[in-house]
Amino acid sequence: MAAVSATSIRWKDFECEVGFYGHIKENLTLLEAKPETVEKVCEIVKKQLALKDEIVLTPDSKFSALGADSLDTVEIVMGLEEEFGITVEEDNSQNITTIQEAADLIEKLVQQKAEA
Amino acid sequence: MFWLLRRNMLPLYLNSVARRPFASSPPPLPPAPLPCPRETHIWYVVPDELKDASRLNQYMELLSPCERQSVLRMNGERLQKGALLARTLVRTTLARYTDGRLSPKSFKFRKNRFGKPEVEWDNYDLWAPPPLQFNISHTSTMIACGVTLDLPIGIDIEEKQRKTSNDILSLAHRYFTSVEVAYLKTLADPECRQSEFIRLWTLKEAYVKALGRGFSGAPFKDFTIRLEASNGKQVTGESKSDGPSIVVEAVDDPGILMNRWKFAFFELNSHYTAVCMERDVKNPADGENNSLKLKVWRTLPFVEDECVTETDAVKNIIR
Repeated sequence: MAAVSATSIRWKDFECEVGFYGHIKENLTLLEAKPETVEKVCEIVKKQLALKDEIVLTPDSKFSALGADSLDTVEIVMGLEEEFGITVEEDNSQNITTIQEAADLIEKLVQQKAEA
Repeated sequence: MFWLLRRNMLPLYLNSVARRPFASSPPPLPPAPLPCPRETHIWYVVPDELKDASRLNQYMELLSPCERQSVLRMNGERLQKGALLARTLVRTTLARYTDGRLSPKSFKFRKNRFGKPEVEWDNYDLWAPPPLQFNISHTSTMIACGVTLDLPIGIDIEEKQRKTSNDILSLAHRYFTSVEVAYLKTLADPECRQSEFIRLWTLKEAYVKALGRGFSGAPFKDFTIRLEASNGKQVTGESKSDGPSIVVEAVDDPGILMNRWKFAFFELNSHYTAVCMERDVKNPADGENNSLKLKVWRTLPFVEDECVTETDAVKNIIR
């Protein structure tokens, strides 16, 4: 079973782009997260960004298209950490750009924590 | 009537170009004198003031194809309008300083290695374009563009009423330096603490954007921003002295102020606004005691411009 090492957050604040980065130690296909996890991520993101009902959030929704600034991003990260009982660290890695990708990573972190 | 642009629909202007000759070009923008060496010029737009669909389509025509695609990728009408106005504000603002020689549409941009947009100037035979530098910031209710002549600049705005979902001290412990956390702890009143947190956040954002590195390239924990009283003492919640100034120092080198950078913090249109600008080190007249000069305009591009520098719109300036 592959271990996912420290995750990371980076964002390009100059164009209000937000991306989540995750570092994967071994080459592995990420299994897709449970729908409940995706739903929870959507909920936290939607609440933090005060997204009106016209915004439809799907698993494929890109963070860069949601108008989050850097303060929103850190608040989303802290909200996700609290919700899932994980810690997200600063690191440089692979770009995670959608709700689904964030949910997948969260589940890996949760799993890693459970195995530790 | 709001601008109707669903995600899968072509923008209206593309349909109209196919069917009839191109509508007349937008009127020229009034030229603006260049910023002086110590000046930052700020132009801002209030999105709610722009509701005219044909005006928004006019703006769309100013953007590059790549910028149009980025606008259309935004999720929902409000965010698309915001993205469109941001690019329009940058292009029209820069054009004002070229004495009518460059149209908003003609500008090209590139990004530095951290992703900060900058102008990519063409070579002109008989004219040297002014070496303008710019930076933008937006909230859902305002978009601001700061411009200087040849000096790095960063700007960040935040709605005064912005509340954080997380506890202020939790956020501060995570992202701010111990000096900044200690300062926030001296503030007993929660509202005061909230607004000081937002002030520090916007100042730190403005600094990392002026550096050209952004939040990811210059971790907030590596530098402290604080108010220094004129007697050189740290300003705390209890002691307010006359004319404190905003200073930045590296955490690794406390006490050594990074004098290359000067700041301004003020209230503008119900927003906290932070500006950071590099000192003109080539100019001996721009000594350490010369603070940042500001000029501010409210604009609706091609509709109206209003200079608000000496008005109530700009309040409580700290430098």
